[in-house]
Amino acid sequence: MNIQNRLVITLWLAASIMPPAAHAAQLTAQVVDPAGQAVANAVVHATLLSGTAPARPKKEISVEQINKEFVPLVSVAQTGTLVNFPNRDQIRHHVYSFSPAKTFEIKLYSGVPAKPVLFDKPGEVVLGCNIHDTMLAYVLIVDTPFFAKTDKQGIVALDMLPAGEYEVQAWYPGGGSAPAPQKIRLGAADSSDLKFVFALRPQSGRPAAGK
Amino acid sequence: MTRSIPRAKSLESRITAFFVVLLLAVQLAGLISIRYAIDQNARAILRDELNVGVRVFKRLLEQNSQQLVEATAVLTYDYGFREAVAMQDRDTILSVLANHSARIKASGMALVNMQNTVIADTLQAGATGKPFAFPELIANATEQRRSSAIRLVGGTIYQIVVVPVLAPLPIAWVAMSFVIDNTVANDLKRITGLDVTFIGRTGNGSGNILASTVDGPLQQALQLELPDISRQPETRGTRALGGEEFEVLSTTIERYDNTRILALLQRSLREGLRPYDSLQVALLFLAAISLVISLLGSMRIARRITRPVRALAEAAKRVESGDYRGVTGIATMPQDEIGALATAFNNMSHGLSERDRMRDVLGKVASPAVAERLLEQQIELGGEERRVTVMFADIRNFTGLCENLTPHQSLGLLNRYLGCINAVIDSHDGIIDKYTGDGVMALFGAPISRSDDAERAISAALDIVARIRQLSIDLQSEGLPHPPIGIGINTANVIAGNVGTPSRFNYTVLGDGVNLAARLEGLTKRYQVALVVGPETRELVPKLVYRELDKVRVRGKSVAVRIFEPLGHEGDLSREQLVLLERYHQALHAFRHRDWLRARSEFAILQEHPDYAVLGKIYLGYVDQQEALPPDPDWDGAFTLYDK
Repeated sequence: MNIQNRLVITLWLAASIMPPAAHAAQLTAQVVDPAGQAVANAVVHATLLSGTAPARPKKEISVEQINKEFVPLVSVAQTGTLVNFPNRDQIRHHVYSFSPAKTFEIKLYSGVPAKPVLFDKPGEVVLGCNIHDTMLAYVLIVDTPFFAKTDKQGIVALDMLPAGEYEVQAWYPGGGSAPAPQKIRLGAADSSDLKFVFALRPQSGRPAAGK
Repeated sequence: MTRSIPRAKSLESRITAFFVVLLLAVQLAGLISIRYAIDQNARAILRDELNVGVRVFKRLLEQNSQQLVEATAVLTYDYGFREAVAMQDRDTILSVLANHSARIKASGMALVNMQNTVIADTLQAGATGKPFAFPELIANATEQRRSSAIRLVGGTIYQIVVVPVLAPLPIAWVAMSFVIDNTVANDLKRITGLDVTFIGRTGNGSGNILASTVDGPLQQALQLELPDISRQPETRGTRALGGEEFEVLSTTIERYDNTRILALLQRSLREGLRPYDSLQVALLFLAAISLVISLLGSMRIARRITRPVRALAEAAKRVESGDYRGVTGIATMPQDEIGALATAFNNMSHGLSERDRMRDVLGKVASPAVAERLLEQQIELGGEERRVTVMFADIRNFTGLCENLTPHQSLGLLNRYLGCINAVIDSHDGIIDKYTGDGVMALFGAPISRSDDAERAISAALDIVARIRQLSIDLQSEGLPHPPIGIGINTANVIAGNVGTPSRFNYTVLGDGVNLAARLEGLTKRYQVALVVGPETRELVPKLVYRELDKVRVRGKSVAVRIFEPLGHEGDLSREQLVLLERYHQALHAFRHRDWLRARSEFAILQEHPDYAVLGKIYLGYVDQQEALPPDPDWDGAFTLYDK
């Protein structure tokens, strides 16, 4: 694996004070590759280091199977989220994960499984279907309620952030080792720009999941 | 001559030997060149086979490797396997590896984590926890999702396949090992038809045979070639292994670090030539058949040549002893050069016999000197036209005179006459053509012409007349009949040649001129003279004095000829004789010009002289006849004679 092939993603983090909320800050970031192209489906999550993060209602998320593809490709959820795997296809699927963060399988089923799966450990969970080798999805479980996926412009916006010190991390599907987190202190009306430069090593065996 | 027969035999065997040796040489050259061409062809075919074989072989290895890769990939997709791997229980992993490798009959299977550390290895238990021995295979698999290579592990070569364990992203590597041993080599041999040997060489070593379809002494012989072969990435050529020639091709199938793995393909030249064995047997068979045929044929040809040659030799031997029958069985001889030779030989013997006969005849009819000359000049014995003076000499009324004699006396008398005539003719270089009962036919100018043929003939005739006159005196004194003779001489162009059949013929002359000579002889009786010559003879010998006897149209002839009696040289005649002759000729002139009166008076006077008594009487008779029945105005003075 050569250095040229390394996907280099530059993460721009821009923090600004959101005017409507006096006690909340907004963090905006853009994920680009070394060529300046926007990277979608990257996840940026911020962990409050000082103080306690306000409790956010844990919601249930779904990773659907439509036309022999997982939708969405990338999901991100807080630890303890229930994930459901509704099968929208006429055929059955056998969803599994051998990832340490969550090892499970739902053997050949159709429709919506009776019970959602509880993702109770942080980490990357790679989903597959045992009878459709091309099916692949990622679920990132984080220990923070502040997370978001980049859009097509590679931009992510985290709002309702209480003031405080944050560790901000970027993650990319199949990105392997995470880049070094950077710390940022956000005041109630502060704005701050952060820049992350880190290299990712795409996993072989699958096409880069950045579609 | 007796040696010729064994020599003919040796000629026969020499001809036969020549053809047989020639054919042998041609066939040997043919067989050698065919053998050479076959050999070259077989070598070229073997080289082609090796070139194709090595491509097939490499493709097979590739396909084999791909199949192993696919099989391994499918195997690692097994859910239970992936679960077991994900479980990370070492003993379970080891047992699933053993189980799954057995499913596809692999030699061994190892699991390597994403950090290239061996988690479990069924082949080498000690490798656990150590870095994987062939990281380049994992590097290739990272790039291409799978990799396959041939690797040397502890003196054994394996096809090692590395594929990821996907869940569905790679969570570990599986390295599956398939041994390449003699069984694999034999499988490859079944497909390629070539002997296959795998050779490994590490560093500067001499190379080892790792797997092979050849064994025993041949493998040992091959071992000796290894240092040379394994040093080069590729070799091809003919090598002698254990006393047998092989077309050998070696090619590198894998190279890594300081190790090179080669495949050596070989094919026996002897086996390559085997398809041509039946061809060569057929060629030898054909060669043998053609040899036998040519032997028989050349013997037959030789015999066809030597048999007539032998017959010719025998005939030649007979000729030597005077047997001129020539070659017998000439009709059965081939119509070729030999036949032509035999025919020529027979013609030659015939000619020889003819010449012998000629010699005999000439010895009798001609003087020995003339006969010799005739022989020496190789006279043409076929018919030819030539100018010949023919003489007929006949004893007048011999038969009638001899009635009172005994046959013995008659013959004795005849021979005295003929002996006298022969001697004279011989002495004048004439030849006796034949005896005509009591006469002789003689030739002057055949078979050899001379300028004075006519003169010699007349001279001989005058001599004969003189000698016979002398003989008559002798015979008279002996009281024997002594008939006179008559001689007719004529010079003419006649046909001279052999008359008769090949076995029986005479050399003679034919023609009107000959007949005229005979008629002239007959006329001697009418004119009571000894000698009558034709006009041509007279013209040829002008120095003599002639008395013109008459102008006659002989039977069967329209042209009248003047006939003459030679009287001798002018000096030999008396004055009186010459005067009388002149007067006679004047009388004749008057007669021919129808001056009957003068002719009658002259002939009447001449009749009184004994030498002209007969002629005078004849012409007086003519005059009477003409006066009684005057002739046509165009009368030429000639009389037609109907008797002989």
